[in-house]
Amino acid sequence: MLAAIELSWYPSLAELGWFAPELALVGTIVVILVAPLILGRSGLRSARIAFAGALVTLLLSVRLVEQVGGGGISGLAPESAAGMLILDKLTILFKIILMLFLTGVTALWVLGSSEKEENGEEFFVLMIGSALGMALMTSTLNLLMMAVAIEAASLPSYAIAGFDKRNRKSAEASVKYVIFGGVSVAIMLYGISLLYGMYHTLNVAIIAQGVANDLAAGQNTVLISMSLFCVLGGIAFKIAAVPFHFWCPDVFEGAKIEVTAWLSVASKAAALVLLLRLVDAFNIGAMVAGHSILTYNGLAWGLGVLAAISCTWGNFAAYRQSNVKRLLAYSSIAHAGYMMMLATIFTLPGTTTSGKPMAALMIYLIVYAVMNLGVFTVAAIVSWQTKSEDIGAFSGLGRRAPWLAVPMVCCLVSLVGLPPFGGFIAKYWLLLALGSKMAETSLAPLSWILIIVVVINTLISLFFYFRIIRTMFLSDDQLPALSPPFLGTAMANLCAVLLLLFGVVLINEPKELADRYTGDMYKPTVVLTSKDVPINAPGDMQVARSVDESDAMQIPALGGAQ
Amino acid sequence: MLTIGLMHYLVLSAAIFCCGIFVMITKRNAIGILIGVELVLNSVNVNFIAFDRYSQQPGFDGQITALFVIVLAAAEAAVAVAICMNLYKNINTIDVDRGDALHG
Repeated sequence: MLAAIELSWYPSLAELGWFAPELALVGTIVVILVAPLILGRSGLRSARIAFAGALVTLLLSVRLVEQVGGGGISGLAPESAAGMLILDKLTILFKIILMLFLTGVTALWVLGSSEKEENGEEFFVLMIGSALGMALMTSTLNLLMMAVAIEAASLPSYAIAGFDKRNRKSAEASVKYVIFGGVSVAIMLYGISLLYGMYHTLNVAIIAQGVANDLAAGQNTVLISMSLFCVLGGIAFKIAAVPFHFWCPDVFEGAKIEVTAWLSVASKAAALVLLLRLVDAFNIGAMVAGHSILTYNGLAWGLGVLAAISCTWGNFAAYRQSNVKRLLAYSSIAHAGYMMMLATIFTLPGTTTSGKPMAALMIYLIVYAVMNLGVFTVAAIVSWQTKSEDIGAFSGLGRRAPWLAVPMVCCLVSLVGLPPFGGFIAKYWLLLALGSKMAETSLAPLSWILIIVVVINTLISLFFYFRIIRTMFLSDDQLPALSPPFLGTAMANLCAVLLLLFGVVLINEPKELADRYTGDMYKPTVVLTSKDVPINAPGDMQVARSVDESDAMQIPALGGAQ
Repeated sequence: MLTIGLMHYLVLSAAIFCCGIFVMITKRNAIGILIGVELVLNSVNVNFIAFDRYSQQPGFDGQITALFVIVLAAAEAAVAVAICMNLYKNINTIDVDRGDALHG
């Protein structure tokens, strides 16, 4: 609905305030770029600026939590372009997790920076650039914005994957990443162009209605399935769900370990939130168009099967790995699979997204970020000090560096999903959400299949995570003791303590927490399409604030806009 | 007399798309694959502009999106070519089959 944008429209100061976290990220990039011109190049200073920028962004995001109501707002765009940039508690929560993780990765870079050449400026500009793209990915319901945000997150990621320029593995990893990424984004854009052709808009809320109408009437089924497959394929590439996962282990192995840590959490989480948001918008579109039957049965089964295959494949493939970064890559594929299962719940008609599914999503994201940060911190210190990324380098770590081995055990047990750590709570809430929401609908078989898959996969993952623990404590190749830096040890132990805290505290009732901090997802203001479909919306839905055609045509002349 | 309509553009775009996919699948040279990606992106642009031109509704979303896609393609090409050059410096070829240090 870009035609309806009045040219005299400017964001108000309050609206810019909603966008402040992203603006702070942009400002950080500028400061990092300008500082070397005045003060000379220094990687450590760039790291400090990045750290400060992340903290400022974090504070600005936290400030927004109280301002945004349960349903979220669509700010920074005139009403006619609603959904272009949206702000709800889920977005804010994601930004908070992202920024906390960014500070962790920055600290990790500082720990390893003694061995690197001094080009921290470029590294942090790219890193924060991708963080900006990810923040935008989670806050849009417009397909154009979605494509731009995915590219904004991807392009810097391709570059930092190959940041270690003289390393052959790193060079190959970035080539693989950029080729797979380029292909999947191109195909995704083709899918978007087909959707645009069918519905003449890029607003997902309107497309969702059209799709629901067409599917119910049996029209365009092939074309719709194909274009949705293209779009979902592009997102699944970012999540690294299984048929689209080929880049993941190679990139994770070739990239520097702090980049691996960044990609394993940030890019996956962003794509996951985007996926959930799209699925939710499609669900609402179907409801507003008056199709309360399961319009997206196929979508639910498709996502569910994709998720189940992802976690099974990830866990089986991880079993054979000897490189710790590859092992963690497959582990992250498996965890992405668990999180994708939540997407199947969001396809259920009439699901209010707050409550259990949101609680499960929130807890899984937080816990996953913390346990991955802990594992990668320990793995990074071990690989820097032994110059080896093989699991053999962990041999006898319980004796060589007990203050690294103990938090590593906590994080690994949490990754398996055993009590008393946060990973257990995350899985518990995932299963609870799957069981309670889906079991009463016609998707009950799917929900039971997914629950069984989660339980079996937890058992499989036990073997390869415990292989590391066994290497650390039960075998000893008489390797020399490590001298871990204090900051790294503190970070790893902090992660372990946090996981223990989550495991104890969150078991109670995170639903209230979720209601308070994630609220409901942004509900698009639904504009009914021209075919005058019957309005059959549930009570709390905002319906039919349609763009007035006469307003749309009155675009003020250029120049006279003010 | 033949009048050019939406269908002609769509057939053109589908043909370019198929060429792009074919190039991506058959080429082993990294730059070749990137050319395939560019072909697909151009078919996307043809689609957007044709749909926009023949749409009955007011609006120019399609044309604006085509502009964005052109910019995205340029940015991606810049990054991808730099990465390919880096690969060439390391292994003296940009044949993707020869990059076998990673066994994925």
